[in-house]
Amino acid sequence: MTSETPHEPDQALHVEDLTVSYGEATALWDIDLDIPPGVMCAIVGPNGAGKSTLIKAALGLVRPVAGHVRFLGQPVARMRGQIGYVPQRQSVDWDFPTTARDVVEMGLYRSLGWFRRPGRDARARALAALAEVDMQDYADRQISQLSGGQQQRVFLARALVQDTPILILDEPLAGVDASTEAVIMALLQRLRDEGRTVIVVHHDLTTVQSYFDWLVMLNVRIIAQGPVRDVYTPENLRAAYGRQLAMIAVPAQAT
Amino acid sequence: MLAELISSQLVRTVVLGAALLGAIAGMLGAFAVLRRQSLLGDALAHAALPGVCLGFLIAGARDLGSIMAGAFFTGALAALAMMAITRTTRLKTDAALGIVLSVFFAVGVVLLTYLQGVGGAASAGLASFLFGQAAAILASDLWIMGGVGLAALALVLALWKEFKLVSFDADFARAQGLPVTALEATLTVMVALAIVVGLQLVGVVLMVALLIAPAAAARQWTDRLGVMVALSAAIGALSGAGGALVSATTRGLATGPVVVLIATAAVLVSLMLAPGRGLIWQALAARRARARITEARILRAMQELAQAHGDARYPSEQGMLAASLGQPPDPRNFAALERRGLIRAVPHPPETTRHWELTTQGHDAAAAPDAERGR
Repeated sequence: MTSETPHEPDQALHVEDLTVSYGEATALWDIDLDIPPGVMCAIVGPNGAGKSTLIKAALGLVRPVAGHVRFLGQPVARMRGQIGYVPQRQSVDWDFPTTARDVVEMGLYRSLGWFRRPGRDARARALAALAEVDMQDYADRQISQLSGGQQQRVFLARALVQDTPILILDEPLAGVDASTEAVIMALLQRLRDEGRTVIVVHHDLTTVQSYFDWLVMLNVRIIAQGPVRDVYTPENLRAAYGRQLAMIAVPAQAT
Repeated sequence: MLAELISSQLVRTVVLGAALLGAIAGMLGAFAVLRRQSLLGDALAHAALPGVCLGFLIAGARDLGSIMAGAFFTGALAALAMMAITRTTRLKTDAALGIVLSVFFAVGVVLLTYLQGVGGAASAGLASFLFGQAAAILASDLWIMGGVGLAALALVLALWKEFKLVSFDADFARAQGLPVTALEATLTVMVALAIVVGLQLVGVVLMVALLIAPAAAARQWTDRLGVMVALSAAIGALSGAGGALVSATTRGLATGPVVVLIATAAVLVSLMLAPGRGLIWQALAARRARARITEARILRAMQELAQAHGDARYPSEQGMLAASLGQPPDPRNFAALERRGLIRAVPHPPETTRHWELTTQGHDAAAAPDAERGR
């Protein structure tokens, strides 16, 4: 883990030999993965495939048994300020006494540094980020008064406010309504068009082809990775999900 | 009477000490409750008992410094044991807490009874650490409490945003590169310190209430973390001072339990009355909503009757409305509708029962698309 010289700097995310286990259960086995910069990448796979574990391990939130991870050639510890992270919505207690704007300002705590409180500038940036997800009118709402979709948008705004070249989102479309999904996807596509790398743990196979241009198919091991049109095939879906689901999910024939 | 009490040196010391302790515990307890770690405080408090005895054994006397050090030591040991259990076994936090709490407390009681069996007069005072003994507090102890309080306050102010982030979303904090484990450990150590300084006053058994109760009460009244922490400290301080005064005025009332009872009363009142979250407030809101729906249904029924009779000012009879609604409506519903100018009472001789007709506004309200929702 002591590489002063960048390792694989041409990849937004480079994962090599990554293995993670919880007790006896292997969550990820020998993952080799490359995601180039500037793509909108979906990570898909059945429940328990290790999708969330993969991004948590990449971010250093879960300690791997083996393997290493690089973002743009650097270990994650040096890239903290360059990666925006949107955890699963259910991972926090929304009854916490705080407002939407306050949550978004949390995205700026790192750049503020120790002992400094967010001031007027942070407030303005937080409000701007909320406006980007169409939530400016809810800035001073207590977060438990927001709907699930609104909470998800607040979480996204907290990552946006950091203005990072890489964004990693864990199931941002889980349990949100169609209008929130549209807002989130339009925003993510705009971020991708600005040259950022967007990595999304995704569960809805039917929208993979329309939303994403890069695809990682996972089931403890890597099943396939690459451009969506190469990877989203009946064989790969069968390998990842098993026979029945593959038959439902595979459209007649994709582009 | 009160002035006389305040002028007593001992009472002043106890009141000040209890208020200080309440403020410290309230402030730190707010974070503990938000991090869902309130019961950790209970385990730490119970685990302090063997430390109290060890401190006594080593010092050979009832020396507060070594007793506190011992309490802190076994408390920390318990926290570590709990962490080890949850990390290495499949037991969940609650089970680990239960095991550690009871084992450490059992060891403490064994040590305590042993010391009392063999020891002289000094060891008799040790039992007061079970439920606290406010009168044993010395003016010099206030300095220790004040020191711990200032340190806690300074830490909370300096690391405010870090503590907030770690309490709300530890995973995100870690992804941001914050030293989450160190920050969490700092909060836990501060809670342990608060417990240690509170042992003498409140005792190991009840100490946890002083951590949880002010925070639980404060949470009811506000949706801002800053206000909650300040309010929690204030409620803690008031409970402490109040409990000390009550027990000073009444013979035979132990300070610690009275303090805890006052703090718990604050929780009860807050759970009931707080606007928005309070039970009574919510019950009233639910009743208002129900009344709105019934009123909307009365308007609808009256309009249907008016339409059926081709008379916009058709006088609807109470019994007919009851029949069409399926149950006789509360007279208060009619009164409310009349107040809002939507219906008016009309005589309909020779009948003596009450009749109402819809006003123009009443017709509009009945026809409004969301009338059923009481808008």
